[in-house]
Amino acid sequence: MNAIEISGLCKQFKGKRRTCVDALKNLDLQIEAGEVFGFLGPNGAGKSTTIKLVMGLLRPTSGTAIIMGVDSTLAESRRKVGFLPENPAFYDYLSAEEYVAFVGSQFKMDTALLKRRSDEVIKQLDLWEARKRPMRSYSKGMIQRVGLAQALVHDPDVYILDEPMSGLDPIGRALVKDIILDLKKRGKCVFFSTHITDDVEKVCDRVGVIVKGSLVAIDRVENILRSGLEGYLVHLQLSDADAGTFAGLQAVRRTGTVSEFYVPSSVFNAFMGAVNTSGKEVVLVETKRRDLEDFFLSLVTSSAQESR
Amino acid sequence: MATIIHITLKGIFRDRVFQGIMVLAVLFLFIPSAASLSMRQMTELTTTLSLSLISFIMLLLAVFLGATSIWKDIERRYTFSVLSLPISRTTYLWGRFFGIALFMLMTTVFLGAMALIAIKAATFGYPPSRPVVWSTIIVTILFDALKYILVVAVAMLLATVSTSFFLPVFGAISVFLAGTATQPVYDYLQTPSVQAAVSVIVRKAAETLYYLLPNLSGFDLKVHAIYSIPFNVQGLILTSIYFAGYTLIILSIGSFLFAWREMK
Ligand SMILES: Nc1ncnc2c1ncn2[C@@H]1O[C@H](COP(=O)(O)OP(=O)(O)OP(=O)(O)O)[C@@H](O)[C@H]1O
Ligand SMILES: [Mg+2]
Repeated sequence: MNAIEISGLCKQFKGKRRTCVDALKNLDLQIEAGEVFGFLGPNGAGKSTTIKLVMGLLRPTSGTAIIMGVDSTLAESRRKVGFLPENPAFYDYLSAEEYVAFVGSQFKMDTALLKRRSDEVIKQLDLWEARKRPMRSYSKGMIQRVGLAQALVHDPDVYILDEPMSGLDPIGRALVKDIILDLKKRGKCVFFSTHITDDVEKVCDRVGVIVKGSLVAIDRVENILRSGLEGYLVHLQLSDADAGTFAGLQAVRRTGTVSEFYVPSSVFNAFMGAVNTSGKEVVLVETKRRDLEDFFLSLVTSSAQESR
Repeated sequence: MATIIHITLKGIFRDRVFQGIMVLAVLFLFIPSAASLSMRQMTELTTTLSLSLISFIMLLLAVFLGATSIWKDIERRYTFSVLSLPISRTTYLWGRFFGIALFMLMTTVFLGAMALIAIKAATFGYPPSRPVVWSTIIVTILFDALKYILVVAVAMLLATVSTSFFLPVFGAISVFLAGTATQPVYDYLQTPSVQAAVSVIVRKAAETLYYLLPNLSGFDLKVHAIYSIPFNVQGLILTSIYFAGYTLIILSIGSFLFAWREMK
């Protein structure tokens, strides 16, 4: 069964004086159980709108979202979901400990288990010292950590996180990556939005790119990385006499006795054959590829040009 | 729902505005001495002042708590985190309401005790002409509390559709004032001389309002408490049923509207 199933989802915001924003256009998306899915898009693309629709906070203009087989307009659909809102806010008169306990009790956890899990996640997110203080006194990053703690406490099967790394320091970001990787290992489904391609590259199985309310690309991360392969940078040990060219290619750089050649994928085999017959020493071969960031940027700019 | 009630109560007790309002209860200390200045009917006066002070504090609390609890949750974006839990909007709204209602009852007990002490103190200073009937005073305070709990429900209904706190705050105050006046106005319009003078449309409009607005006159038993007049028990039962029915309808409409509302 798919963990999340979105079909034909549209959302229009009607403003004052007949202004109308098409925040989400006909989105179809299936997220499998056990999959980590990155939802990538520039500001105002419609990531949070999608997530709010899936969480039943907004009503779709048309289309449906189904979580674990239950329609997202029903409260029951959220029974197995841990949710982190964008820039979260929690009852500021409660402490982190009280809030996590409140959330746990909403998921009908039994008291002993809740206490144990609550201590666990609070420690994991480094809130232990502050756990008894009202959240009014927390910093932005600490609130974000409470948000993660309350999404994790009941150990759900599906995680829906709107910019989980936002507002966190480098240690926090690394922690969130580890948490997501751990969830993946345990077969949980994680659906998260972000702007940061590097996060996606490190943790996701699949990535979807949304621009101006439309899904413009969706693929496995490794496919994107592989298809982005453009060529190799080959470092060869060469004497000063023949440093400049080799097998018809110009050296792009020379340091000491080593020359670097940029070899496009198409001629790589021929080039290496020439290296072999000449008996020159290969110091290093680097792959040159467009990373996810380039992929993302090219998608965003191309769809911006189309709409112009 | 129990957990929503629980955090509602916690929120109220930790709120500064609430603490400020409760400072008003200190005024009870001055009532007997203020009443003693009149030299006559000291007990009656103390009773009147005490009941009025309770009414005033309860009205403040009803408007403040009823109007701001949901509005604040939306304004401060708590709704994103709370309504995305597996709770229905209806459960959330009723949980909030019961939390506030429970708190209003607790406050009533506290203020009521203060009032009884003040009245007792007054009877020492100047024995009343008619014996004080304590049970009457207690029932009067209780019905006063029901009246303000009904105002809470009205304020919450308005808050479910409003994006600012103006509508729930001033709406609740207006409904309270109008609700206190509907019965006398209705009675006045029923007198034959008025029926002849006022056009049918105006009378129909007034009648519609009479059935739409809460009728709060039945909850006001102060005269009975002050002059120790026995109650009409049947009337009290009707008023209680009216309270339950009206609150149920108001909050059902409220949860219907709230379920429809988008959290943007
Ligand atoms: N309540 C609203 N009323 C009107 N328009 C809205 C509303 N909420 C969002 N929008 C519009 O919908 C579009 C998508 O917004 P959304 O918040 O989903 O973007 P996002 O991808 O989450 O962006 P970000 O990366 O900045 O968080 C934007 O154009 C935004 O202006
Ligand atoms: Mg967003």
